[in-house]
Amino acid sequence: MNGLIKGLGVTLKSMIEPKVTTSYPDVPFVMPDRFRGIQHFIPDLCIVCNQCARICPTDCITLTGKPNPDPEKKGKVIDTFDINFEICILCDLCTEVCPTEAIVMTNHFELSTFSRDDLFKDAEWLTDNNTLVREDNNNIGAPVKGGGK
Amino acid sequence: MEFSLESISIEERKELERNVFMGTLEQLKAWARSNSLWPLTFGLACCAIEMMGTGASHYDLDRFGVMFRTSPRQSDVMIVAGTVTKKMGPLLRRLYDQMPEPKWVIAMGSCATAGGPYIKSYAVIKGVDQIVPVDVYIPGCPPNPAALIYGINKLQEKIRYEAKTGKRVTGR
Repeated sequence: MNGLIKGLGVTLKSMIEPKVTTSYPDVPFVMPDRFRGIQHFIPDLCIVCNQCARICPTDCITLTGKPNPDPEKKGKVIDTFDINFEICILCDLCTEVCPTEAIVMTNHFELSTFSRDDLFKDAEWLTDNNTLVREDNNNIGAPVKGGGK
Repeated sequence: MEFSLESISIEERKELERNVFMGTLEQLKAWARSNSLWPLTFGLACCAIEMMGTGASHYDLDRFGVMFRTSPRQSDVMIVAGTVTKKMGPLLRRLYDQMPEPKWVIAMGSCATAGGPYIKSYAVIKGVDQIVPVDVYIPGCPPNPAALIYGINKLQEKIRYEAKTGKRVTGR
């Protein structure tokens, strides 16, 4: 009898508790800032250093540069930048290694497609993907631009 | 028996369109099918953990009529969650063949879509669409439960769209 009352007490208590289930498709699901979603790319910041393409564990980033159209300036500007998102494992290494933070993570996760072709993201798509961008891209406390001087 | 449409005034017609559901039998079937997707749990790697998490109370796949079955004979959709090795490939195909029609496949995660981190491996199938036809691809490594819910909703949308228009959703 004592056990029955105890058990019913648990039932009654959980009846008045708030629901744990999210109402996700009706209410947008907010991810924390350090969530790793699809990348956002800023072509003006890119210096074509190729570090993201070299560090990518699955070699899903391909990029090409061209000489700076302004003859006064040195260096290169980005020409094409593609992420093969089929094999991107969202490891965050490209955003960590980028010296100018031209490639940053966003909180977007709604990326399902009917076709594998749609998962190939070019520079235009990645540039337009400019919402919900991660705020703090230096969350490991790395030295800022100019090294640890 | 003839039914004259001239006798219906515009107001009555508008009221009829508001209150009476018109559709084909295919649409009705698609509505029923899309709201009772019973997936075959094909958990092969870490994506399976996310799939189990989606089935649990916080995300609760039962809200969409998605109830996990452990037998291919009772399921409509196969969620391939994880790395499909070349040794697993024939068994995946056999389980797909054992499912009754109509059947769909969701490729969950990078591994099932294209090989993911094992893209350079000699032992992994680079995309489950090489052995079974895939309807929805969910990228991510692993996709979080909300992304899986989004993918399932996308599949429901596909079932309804294809029944309504009779066209394939990819259009390629």
